[in-house]
Amino acid sequence: MQLDFKARELTVKLVYYGPALSGKTTNLQAIHRLVSAEATGRLMTLETQDDRTLFFDLLPLTFKSKDSGPQVRIKLFTVPGQVMHNATRRLVLQGADGIAFVADSQKSETRANQVAFRNMLDNLKEQGLDPNQLPKVVQFNKRDLPEIRPDEEIDRLAAKGEEPVFKAIALRGIGVRETFLGLFERVWWKLEEAHALKEKFGLDPNQFLQEVASRLAPPEQTGVVP
Amino acid sequence: MSASAVIDLKLGDLRRLEEVADREALSQLCRSFFELFGLSIRVFSEGGALLADVHEERSICRYVNTLPGGRRSCAATVGEVKGLRPNATAVHPCFTGAVYRVTPIEYQGRQVGRVVIGPYLPIETGQVPKSLLVVDPEVQSEEARRHLEEMPRVRAETAIRIGEHLRGIVDLLLFASHRAHLTSEMHIASVRESYRELTEKTERLQQAFDQLKELDRLKSNFLATVSHELRTPLTSIIGYSEMLASGMAGELNQEQLEFAETIHTKGDHLLELISSLLDLSKLEQGSLKLARREVTPSDILHDVATTLIPRASKKNIRVQVESAEHVGTVSGDPVRIRQILSNLGDNALKFTPEGGTVFLSAGTTELDDHEDGGSGHVLFGASRPAVEFVVRDTGMGIPKGELPRIFNAFYQVDGSSTREHGGVGLGLSIVQRLTEAHEGTIAVESEVGAGTTFRVVLPEQPTEG
Repeated sequence: MQLDFKARELTVKLVYYGPALSGKTTNLQAIHRLVSAEATGRLMTLETQDDRTLFFDLLPLTFKSKDSGPQVRIKLFTVPGQVMHNATRRLVLQGADGIAFVADSQKSETRANQVAFRNMLDNLKEQGLDPNQLPKVVQFNKRDLPEIRPDEEIDRLAAKGEEPVFKAIALRGIGVRETFLGLFERVWWKLEEAHALKEKFGLDPNQFLQEVASRLAPPEQTGVVP
Repeated sequence: MSASAVIDLKLGDLRRLEEVADREALSQLCRSFFELFGLSIRVFSEGGALLADVHEERSICRYVNTLPGGRRSCAATVGEVKGLRPNATAVHPCFTGAVYRVTPIEYQGRQVGRVVIGPYLPIETGQVPKSLLVVDPEVQSEEARRHLEEMPRVRAETAIRIGEHLRGIVDLLLFASHRAHLTSEMHIASVRESYRELTEKTERLQQAFDQLKELDRLKSNFLATVSHELRTPLTSIIGYSEMLASGMAGELNQEQLEFAETIHTKGDHLLELISSLLDLSKLEQGSLKLARREVTPSDILHDVATTLIPRASKKNIRVQVESAEHVGTVSGDPVRIRQILSNLGDNALKFTPEGGTVFLSAGTTELDDHEDGGSGHVLFGASRPAVEFVVRDTGMGIPKGELPRIFNAFYQVDGSSTREHGGVGLGLSIVQRLTEAHEGTIAVESEVGAGTTFRVVLPEQPTEG
């Protein structure tokens, strides 16, 4: 997180991590559609090759709280999924406040998910970040495809695991809002704990989180076409 | 990452408009709006830097600036406009009745600058305002009115729309430049990160390599020590068994004699093997001393042939020495050169079936110092006269895939435990190292079923004068 007391501005960085083609960019595109125009800038895609992210995607969100509170900027990043871009992934992870791990639900991708998750842990450590301290959520994307890991199995494992798990069909905007809010909530409480934002800025966590949620219209109101 | 980076890569933030804005593009944009609407346009960064300025001095401005009071008030107004930081589009009045419209430029939730349009007259302006008439005692009401009428008149909503459009296009320009900047910063950072990663890996590999080299050195030391320690008792075994066989300790019966001779022969074999190991470790350590002198190829070949013939005739193999006349002499250690050729000859005998032939020959050739050939060879290569020793057999040959490895120590083409031919796989390794110790080269050609040819090229002894 970056705090600018003078400008009364606070910037939070969230990273969407995951194996190649799991739907990280699609998540950002869906959020971009959910958020009202005044709260978001353009979705910036840095270098692509055959429609695959080479560096990262960046979606800036801005929430100005009422009554002269600070401006909260949320920067959503994606990493390039392909194995060869590890140096870039490490750079994107720098200064992350939270991570949404986007897994591909297809059974055939189980191993790719595991490899990407381990790679994420390694990269976090290399960046001097403690993976256990960093808020994380897991999204199982592409729930509409055949041959996916069954709900029952995911639910059972999720109950034992540490991270909250969300199911999504990012292409249709389903589960994207929940994943984002789920992560942001965890990140915000963590920041509140570390920086006493309520005390310093008068930002009430419950109120602010509600405000952020209200700015993301639920998918059925957006008329999103897959 | 360098601290001087324009963009904070961690957040991908754009901090200062002046660092990414293309001033030329901004000026052209303002010029095109100016030509469309006839309004002066200026673009400022948040810090107050003027990034684009397209304006025309209005006649009213020229007029008031001729009067001291007007000059003062004009400067004050311009100063105020420059200092404005409105959160939303706003107008700022001038004492002449004209206004400036200031539209903030926001980028990713931050104000980074503003567009200032004007001065222009709001469309509803009627009479010459009082503020203009009192700005200086010299103001002429009629003249001021005339000048003021030349000022463009704009509806408030039109000015807002112009400001909004301009802001939108500036935002697009910014987005494009921001992305280009981030991309190039990311390129550099990624390359740097990959380089860092590679450097670390190279360091680790270097460490592993150094360790292996040290282990190899220890292995050679060990071999040398062990060989030496083995040789001492073995000499006694050979000596005493020889004395026993010669009857020095009393007459032996036939069986006793056979036993003693077997001990002697096997002891000799063992000694040969140990000597090879010792040679190899000396060659690996580079501690082998060559007793160089002038060596005549034909003499060496005949020597070698003589030692090969007894064993060859047992297998009914012919040893044929081909003419080695008119061949120059070699500067080398005769014992070692003989060792090279006898090793190759032994091998040839070993792998040639009954009735075959082993050819030995020497000829004149050239040795290239710069071996690679290819680009620039003509510049870097230097040839010198050399002698080529050839050992050729009509044996079983070596499969192509095995050829690159035959010079490795302990390597056997047939590595199975039930193989037909003995040996520990040191011969060719020693031959190669001895050749290299003489600054020579060794090459092999082979065809399975047809035979194998080894070519050893050693530099010729330079002729004097």
